[in-house]
Order: sequence, then structure tokens, then C-alpha cells
Amino acid sequence: MIYDKSSGKIVDIIKNYARKHSLWIVAYGTGCGAIELPPTMTSRYDAERFGIRGSATPRQADVLLITGYLAVKTLKRVIRTYEQMQDPKYVIGFGSCTINGGMYWDSYNTVKALDRYLPVDVYINGCMPRPEAVISGFIELQKLIEAGKANGAKKYKENLDWYRENQRKVIKNWKMPDYNW
Amino acid sequence: MNINWLSVLGIITTPIIAFIVGVTYGGLTRRITARIQNRYGPPSSQNLLDIIKLYSKETSIQHGVMQHLGPVFAITASITTLYFIPVIKNSVVFTNLSFNGDLIFLLYIMVFGSLGMALGAGQTGNPNAAIGVSRGLSQMVGYEIPFVLSLVAIMTQFHTTSLTDLLAVQKHFADWIIFQSPLAFIAGILAFLGMMGYAPFDVVIAPAEIASGPPSEFGGKYLALMMTSRSIFTFAKLVLFTDIFLGGASDFITLIIKTFLLYMIPVLTGIVFPRFRTEQSICFFWKWPLVFGVLAILVVVL
Amino acid sequence: MKTQNINIEKEIATEIQNTFHTAEVNIKRNKRIEVKLRNDLIPPFLSYAKNYLTFNHLAHFSCVDWIEQNEFELVYIIYSYEKGVIVLAKTRIDREKAEFVTTRHLWYQAETYERELHEMFGINFKGNDRLNEFILEDWEGIPPYRRDFDTVKYATDNFYTRPGREDAKDVRENVTKINKEEIPEFAKEYSVRSLK
Repeated sequence: MIYDKSSGKIVDIIKNYARKHSLWIVAYGTGCGAIELPPTMTSRYDAERFGIRGSATPRQADVLLITGYLAVKTLKRVIRTYEQMQDPKYVIGFGSCTINGGMYWDSYNTVKALDRYLPVDVYINGCMPRPEAVISGFIELQKLIEAGKANGAKKYKENLDWYRENQRKVIKNWKMPDYNW
Repeated sequence: MNINWLSVLGIITTPIIAFIVGVTYGGLTRRITARIQNRYGPPSSQNLLDIIKLYSKETSIQHGVMQHLGPVFAITASITTLYFIPVIKNSVVFTNLSFNGDLIFLLYIMVFGSLGMALGAGQTGNPNAAIGVSRGLSQMVGYEIPFVLSLVAIMTQFHTTSLTDLLAVQKHFADWIIFQSPLAFIAGILAFLGMMGYAPFDVVIAPAEIASGPPSEFGGKYLALMMTSRSIFTFAKLVLFTDIFLGGASDFITLIIKTFLLYMIPVLTGIVFPRFRTEQSICFFWKWPLVFGVLAILVVVL
Repeated sequence: MKTQNINIEKEIATEIQNTFHTAEVNIKRNKRIEVKLRNDLIPPFLSYAKNYLTFNHLAHFSCVDWIEQNEFELVYIIYSYEKGVIVLAKTRIDREKAEFVTTRHLWYQAETYERELHEMFGINFKGNDRLNEFILEDWEGIPPYRRDFDTVKYATDNFYTRPGREDAKDVRENVTKINKEEIPEFAKEYSVRSLK
């Protein structure tokens, strides 16, 4: 095969360029932040001009957007959704709740640090982040992808034990299928 | 052995041209939709970028043999359909494999892709895919009948089943079949709306309802193959309708103009209309297009 | 306060008082009547209100935890479309042995409220056979809406807390100083606890 260093590099550049300009989001809103997505997508802010588009199923998607607080019950579904997605995949934590719990810091049912359970590539700060902030977060992700640094999925695979341990600590009755990725 | 190298060149280049034109049309459609919705819109190369990205994604989930074969069937059907349509009139390179009697063959081969997809989607076991397949096949029954009627009317009128003969009939502007047999054109173009799968006939892939339907379990390379197939098939259908009704094209610029104008009919219809339910779309196809198709045949016969 | 026409409320109140002599009926304000009843009188009262007084809409059903009196207060909020009046039917049940009868036969949506109260307060509704897992999944221990459930302790025990929030200040003191208000006694305690 003609797969020496330089040609591989060119292929990588093309791949990363295409990945950067075509980010499909899973249509799955976990918290109140999902309400910021319609204005982001529609004519006022129009995220489609950056190639950001919604996709209906996790199989086709690239980006998992955690929009807001994560209840333990939702975390279970989010983990399953994340594991069904195909590489390369990215996670964006959206809003203060995913960073340190936000206003749900003393809630009995909300996980407070998303990156203990899923590998987060980009955090968007705010409560709520307005569409401008969302788009700037996506552009940050695009920069990371172009530089080849958005490797959350790789981290997740390498440190799966650590993530699983954290997930099992929160999800008491662990009845999850294993996906053969 | 006498190999016609020009035909070989045509066979190699036709799918590539079809893919590029189809993908660009897809990107332009998204841009036009965006402009109509008062948005800026993605660049016209967006569909191409999407397809490249999907080809570069890993595909590690498999549900069985048929899931691999479904997209392959679809792209085979698209390319085969394309090969049996003369892309450029009287050209040695782009006549490809069209022979006498190819209209009837085309009627069969055009359905093949959908059936392959149905098998592939059925293998995945996703309920949304099953719903989408049943909707798609029902809707296909709806639009195939007026389409066949329109073609039969034309075949009876000109006593031929060959696309090359039909092209030979339409020498001048006034000879185009759209003017010679307008009823058949109306039936055909209404069926064409359903064939393209834009709104109001997009209940098959309704993303908000059944999670994009048949391809809901297909990601990565499968989806890329399906999008490629869709681009090629779009171009093939556009060229077929241009050949039948609009007098074909003797060079690429005419071809692009004619196909683009024809393509805008389903696209612009789709932007302004909401979605039909399956039974509503079948009712629609069995009402007006059917009437026009039967009328076209009656006009020819009587 | 503007004087309001509360004739219809007075009518309803006297009618309820005449039917249920032990009931404690107060007209809280315009279009709002509070009825306090013994807990064994709640099913007949609701049936009476629904069938005779046309209160045929159960707007809400909730619970208040009176831990000091060792009681739960159940609140039925019912509404009459004809009269345009809200009635709050309140009753108290024992907190230790939290049990009550279902009102599913009167309003079917009561079943969902009862499932919620069963899960969040641990109240058992006799006659409701769908008191299974509802919102919380795999919940162990005391129900989370009871006031003896320490949610801060539970959250710090079970979930990882990212450092960096320890210096969070109670800004209410500054705010009240600016606005020249006073923090009530019971609220002060909460502010101290949240700082811990």
C-alpha cells in the first residue's frame, strides 16, 4: 500500500477538514439547555453555515451535546447513547450543571462533574449559554479537531475501567449491554 | 477483440460525473432551502464534506450480512440505472449501454435499489427502520402507477420503447414530448415528486417521527454509500426525465441547465409544503396523476 | 385591599359546613376556599364535592411534611369549571405509619400523583395497585422529599463534588444590607447549613 508518512498526513488533513466542517448532533436534550438549540439552528443564528446539523440517531451522529443537568436516570441513557455512536465522536458539556453541578449542587439525583463519567472535549460555560456561546463552543471544537486534539473517545477507550468504576458508583443497578466497539 | 475505448471511457466517467453533479445539487438544495428560510445556509460543498466525513468514520456495528448488502444493492441499482440512460444525445462516449427496449428495463431496475434498501433495513431489526420500509414501499406503489401510465402513453404514441428512438423523435424545440404529450408529462412530473422523496412525500425518512426511518441503524460508511447512491440516482432520474420529456441534451451545459430546472420542481415544492401521511400521499398519487395518466393513454389511443 | 365579591364562596362554604360539621372551612381569598378535614372524611368529601358541588377537576394533589408534629398533610386542589372556585381540601395523616386510601375511582389522574407521593414521601395508598417505580430508578433508603432526608449529605456522599466552590459566600447578607431588610430567624439557619 502507498501509505507512507506524507500521504497519511494528507489523508489526515482531508479527513480532519471534512470532520471539522460536518458535525452532526444527536437530537437528545438532557436538561433545560435543549431549549437553546432551536434558536441556534434556525434563521437567527443558523448553525448550519458551519456544517452543524441535527441527526436523528446516535449511529449517524458525531457530537453528543449534554444540554444541562444530568440526573442519574438520564446518565444511564446518555452512556448508552454515547457507546452506540461511531468513532470519531465528541462530547460537549453544556452549561454550568455539567461543570460543577450549577444550581443543582445539593441535589440528591444529579451528577455534578460530567467528565468523571464521559470524556468531555469542550465545555460551554453559562446558565444558560446563549446561542452565541454555543456556536463559539462548536468553533472551539472545530479548532481542536483540525489540530487533531479532540481525542475524547480514545481517552474513553484507554481509561474505560476508571470511567466504568465511576459510572457504577452512581448507577446502582447496572444492567447495561456491552457494545463491541 | 475490438474494444470501443470511447465507451470504456464513458463507463468510467459517467458515475463520477453523476456523483459530482448530484452532490453539488444536494448542497445547492440545502443552500436554496436556507435562503428561502431567511438563513445564510451551508456552503454548496456541504454534502460532499458530509460524505467524506462519513467515509472516514469507523463502522464497527454489524447486524448481519444483509445490512452490508443493502447499501451495495442501492448503489448498484443507481449505477446500473445510470448506465442504461443516454446521458448526452448522439454521443459515442456517453451512450453507455442503452439498447432497444430499455425503458421497460429501466422500470424494473429503478425499483431494485429501494428493495435492496428494504432488505438491508429489515436486517437491522430497528422498529423505526421497519416502519420506514413499510411506508416507503407503500408510497412506491403509489407513485409507480402514474409513472408507468405516463411512460406507457409515450410508448404507445411513438411506437417505441427505446430512449434513443425517443431522443431521435425530439429534434427541434417544438418536437419535445412535453409539448407533444403534455398530459403524460403532468402525470410523470407528479410521480417524479414522489420519486425524489422531498416534502410533501418525505414520510419515509421523517427524522422527527421515526428517527430517519430505514437508515436509522446505518452509520458511517453505510450511510456514506447510501448518500452516494442517492446523489447518483438523483442525477440518473433527472437525466431520464430530461431525455424523455425535454428532448435530451447535446452538450453538458444544456444538460446542467435542463436537469437543474427540472430538479428545482421537487425542491421548491418541498420547501413550501408540509408532510403528507402515507395514506394521504397514496390517495394523492391515485387521484390526479392517475387521472392524467389514463387521459394521456386515452388521447393516444382514440 | 379591594373588597371583593365573595358571595359564591360564602354559599359554597356554608354548604360544606352544613354537610360536614367537623370541617374547618376558611375563605382564604377571592375564589379560594380552604377545607380542613379529618382524614377519614376525605373520600366522602371529595365524592360529595365532585358529584354535588360540580368540583370535577383534580388540579393537583400534593403533600407537606410537618416533621415537628410528626404528620403529613395531604392537599387536594380541586376546581369547578361552573363556579370558577378552587377548593383546597387538607387533611393530616400519621407520619410513621404513612397510609391513606386512593382516590383513583374519582379521578384517574390521581393515580399518577399517588405514585409520585409514594416514591417521594413513602406514603402507601391502599387500593392503588400501580405504586411501583416511577421517576427515581433504583432508589434505596428513605424517600428524598421527607424532611429528615439530608440531601446535602447524600449528594456529597454519593456524587463527586468538583473543588472550587468552598469559598461560595452567602451573599444574602450583603443584599439585605443594601436593601435594608432583615433575614428571618428560620432562614438564617439554612444559610449557615449551606455554608458547611
